[in-house]
Amino acid sequence: MHMLIELKNVSYIYEQEPPVTALEKINLNIEPGAFIGLIGHTGSGKTTLVQLLNGLIKPTSGQVIVDGKDIGENKKGLKDIRRRIGLVFQYPEHQLFEETVYRELAFGPKNLGLDKDEIDVRIREALNLIGMDFDKYSDRSPFNLSGGQQRKIALAGVLAMKPGVLILDEPFAGLDPRGRKQLTELLKRLHEQQNISFILISHRMDEISYLATRILALKEGHIVLDGSPAEIFSQPEKLKEIALDIPQLTEILFRLQKKGLEVRSDIFDIEQAADEIIDKLRSRNIC
Amino acid sequence: MNQIEMKHVGYQYNKTGEQALIDIDLTIQSGEFVGIVGSNGSGKSTLARLLNVLLEPTEGQVLIGGLDTHKRENVQQIRQKVGMVFQNPDNQLVATKVEDDVAFGLENLGVPSSQIRRRVDRALEQVDMQDYRDFSPHQLSGGQKQRVALAGILAMEPSCIVLDEPTAMLDPRGRKEVMSVVQDLNQQKNITVVYITHVMREASRTDRIIVMSEGKIVRRGQPAPIFADIDFMNKIGLSVPPVTELAVALRKKGLNLPDIMDVDELVKCIC
Repeated sequence: MHMLIELKNVSYIYEQEPPVTALEKINLNIEPGAFIGLIGHTGSGKTTLVQLLNGLIKPTSGQVIVDGKDIGENKKGLKDIRRRIGLVFQYPEHQLFEETVYRELAFGPKNLGLDKDEIDVRIREALNLIGMDFDKYSDRSPFNLSGGQQRKIALAGVLAMKPGVLILDEPFAGLDPRGRKQLTELLKRLHEQQNISFILISHRMDEISYLATRILALKEGHIVLDGSPAEIFSQPEKLKEIALDIPQLTEILFRLQKKGLEVRSDIFDIEQAADEIIDKLRSRNIC
Repeated sequence: MNQIEMKHVGYQYNKTGEQALIDIDLTIQSGEFVGIVGSNGSGKSTLARLLNVLLEPTEGQVLIGGLDTHKRENVQQIRQKVGMVFQNPDNQLVATKVEDDVAFGLENLGVPSSQIRRRVDRALEQVDMQDYRDFSPHQLSGGQKQRVALAGILAMEPSCIVLDEPTAMLDPRGRKEVMSVVQDLNQQKNITVVYITHVMREASRTDRIIVMSEGKIVRRGQPAPIFADIDFMNKIGLSVPPVTELAVALRKKGLNLPDIMDVDELVKCIC
């Protein structure tokens, strides 16, 4: 089920000597069905922000509101929030611990107090969603799977909770190109086919530009950019200022523009970009 | 001079019986900058661990500067010649202060303290971390930690550095820092570099790449022509940089382009 998340004047200060302000007066609406790419340099406040969103930490001031309710207000509600806003940590496979894939995936639903049959249904669905065969994998030890498969199992564990929002913190880190590509396509499919909103933290601009419908850039606890990938990546100077890259494809299109070839720069697909370049070259009648 | 020679090298893990490397023949010259790419499980990390004798080959021979890694009496000398940097910056720093960490290896070797000072200073300068000598490692960014790990190795004055996915856990700024320090060391100090990476943009900046799949070397040579064979790269689980993909797509649509690895070159060829 889709959810609406609102942040009103949210600040978060780490109480230490000296205190560190991780987020300052953040106002933000996350609309249902969005795929948000959250970018920013290490230490910009990304991880703090997502921890606030699923109630792992409470704002020092301000409110986090989910479907109209302030999540700080009752403890009982918080448990429900954590089920509905799933969080996949960095290197989630390090937290796998059960002897079989089945038991690993049963862990969350069991904690929800679901009965055996419902748990079984959820596990089958979750494995189906990540494209892993139930009969082949359910009895296997998660520790004998490849790194990419382990990560997908960790993701399935969160999907089995049927979240409305899925937050992923650097899900591509440490994966090889094949694993990265599979995960990218999996996330795209989940977003298109399931009623789940996504918040994706990543340094990988090529993947972000491909997946996200909206990008938020954080710097020193503030949202400094907010817009569609086309809007965000059309400001390369600003991105460089906050020490972020633009996708390589975007960089190429910009450089061609500067050289006088009037190609569009809001294309994030290789084939489409190639067509665009050929098209503009033809109309210029060179090549 | 041949820095590294591998002759018919095989490696089988004792526990699982898995054959991680099969009949590897590889020569790396002194001063070369060689990239090793391959998907997870292709054998790259095993190969790296043979170079400074963290592992010994179960078949064949590994020679470092002519010294056989099978011979016990060579091991210490080889480990001094070949330094290793690993993926996780947090697992490599042991001391509470940056300069102590860089000095750690030298102290273990029993180098006199006057010399230690000089070598630590120089190593920190080479990675541009001289201003952080009194810092605690936990105050540093990932990229800075990797540079300190690199300094600890440089202090040993190695002739070769092997880096096993040194930027996998870093952000873009950290990646650039590490890559540019490594390139400097290669070009200015003539240190041989073996650079294992999943980041194809990094691999494309090496002199020569070795492509591994299922324990074997399946391609070797300059990066550009190898990366241009996108179908082959995809088949063995690797991707190529977007710029190469675009160049190949443009070529298929009739544009006359060479094998291209970087943005400057592509832009120049189109306009």
